[in-house]
Amino acid sequence: MARSKSARQQQLEELALAPVEWLDERSGVVQGSKWFLFRKVPRDVSWAQTLGSATLTAFIVQLVTGVVLAMYYKPDPAAAYDSILAITNDLTWGWLARGMHRWGASVFIILLFFHMGRVFIYGAYKYPRELNWLVGVIILLLSLAEGFTGYLLPWDQTAYWATVVGININATAPIAGPFIADFLKGGAEIGGETLARFYSLHMLLIPGGLIALITLHMYLVTRLGVASPPWSKEAAGRERVEVETRKRGLVEPRRRKSVSRKDQT
Amino acid sequence: MSTKEQRDDFTRYKRDVKKEGKRFFPYAVFHDTVMSLFVVAVIIGLAALWFFTSGEEAGDAGILGPRYQSEADPAAIQFVPRPDWYFFFLFYLLRIFKWPESVILGTIGIPTIALILLMVVPFIDRRRERRLLRRPVAMVASVLVIASLGILTYKGATAKEGAAGAEDAIPEWIVDGNLVENAEVVLSTDPDAAALDADPGDAETLIEEGAELLVQAGCLNCHVYRNVGAQNLGAPDLTEEGSRERGLEWQIGHLKDPPAFSGGSLMPSFATLTDDQLLSLAVFLESSRGN
Repeated sequence: MARSKSARQQQLEELALAPVEWLDERSGVVQGSKWFLFRKVPRDVSWAQTLGSATLTAFIVQLVTGVVLAMYYKPDPAAAYDSILAITNDLTWGWLARGMHRWGASVFIILLFFHMGRVFIYGAYKYPRELNWLVGVIILLLSLAEGFTGYLLPWDQTAYWATVVGININATAPIAGPFIADFLKGGAEIGGETLARFYSLHMLLIPGGLIALITLHMYLVTRLGVASPPWSKEAAGRERVEVETRKRGLVEPRRRKSVSRKDQT
Repeated sequence: MSTKEQRDDFTRYKRDVKKEGKRFFPYAVFHDTVMSLFVVAVIIGLAALWFFTSGEEAGDAGILGPRYQSEADPAAIQFVPRPDWYFFFLFYLLRIFKWPESVILGTIGIPTIALILLMVVPFIDRRRERRLLRRPVAMVASVLVIASLGILTYKGATAKEGAAGAEDAIPEWIVDGNLVENAEVVLSTDPDAAALDADPGDAETLIEEGAELLVQAGCLNCHVYRNVGAQNLGAPDLTEEGSRERGLEWQIGHLKDPPAFSGGSLMPSFATLTDDQLLSLAVFLESSRGN
């Protein structure tokens, strides 16, 4: 009996895993997830290297709250302001969605700068991670463009006049400037066409680009690995000398033998 | 640093990580999860602080500012150009350039150079050394960038807006600047005065109306007039605007479409003003010739 039960169990297991295997055979998605999740990072990676994932979290907050806001927001000069009032004051939890989107944008930008500062201070943009630095700078640029296009959407006085000046600033650029300004305005005056354009850029084109670039950014991080802190005594990638064992905490695995970087000149 | 050495370094890095690194899951993921929860908590905290300390009325600000201002109105020209805080450094950069011709340096020149420098950082700095204390150029550059961004953001945030008390200064402007006498001269000599249906006899009314408009239409949110005003976005001082003798026709055209008359101008169009208002503002500006 035991034998037939185990055979049955095996059958069930195979049945349960069949869709996963089917998917993996055709897409490699399981292999890819394992590659991402079950990799190793230098043992001295710590809190400072969480700024990137913190930025990603803030971005995901923007995506989720943005989707909610898009369900209730009306990108039309006659209705935009009223829909903002309704979202903020009448809609259940609407204040939270709008508040998180509004302040999440600031947190996102701050974290981007902190993350970039960390990479700079650690010298983590050096070989072979130059390309990822470049991708990061473009992510920063697109994020500022998200800030600029999103600022108009509440359609209040601050939003409107800040955008008037912002578009005029764009227009001063040599050669392409006037074309960019005309494209953004969509007409002689800043009005319905402008609002529709900003809405489309803000919730389709720029976020699409950001998602693609952030995916590329994370792929490159996974492929190239996270750099050790440069001052670390056990940095990965440097000649070392043996030193005695140190005690390890909960989040760093205990090791038999610890090593230190040889003093380099 | 040769390519071979770089490659050897990276091979050693990969070997070290494989041999003695810690697993990403769960060790690094633990840090990331704690940090992410903290970020979400901060965002919710900010949203709550913003909402519960502000009121339903437009402009009713709490600790983190109002929920919204009054509805956008292209005809209500009284405005304060105020971007979101992370553009303050750009916004304040423009105040440094006091001559309209140099504003382009602040709007396009410096930001473009800074952006290109940022992009090419890894291609300029190709040395192997990563410790900041042994990268003096990088250290000085980062301190300078952080300090200037901080100062510009702070200055942008605390920049004074509008022109408090400007209304009370109007009679003084008119007397000190001999505006009415100047206006009589302008109206009797300007070749377009007749076509604009302006008579030297109206000088006093036009000057008074023009001064009121200068204050009420928000001109002083960017321009300075007799030491009153905010000097934003590279807007020129208007105290001696008339000395340039550009004429009434030019002034009116410029108010309607600033970039067409003054290349690279950031000034918004004031075409929503009535013809009478435009005329009085133009006469006021043409009559302003300092002391």
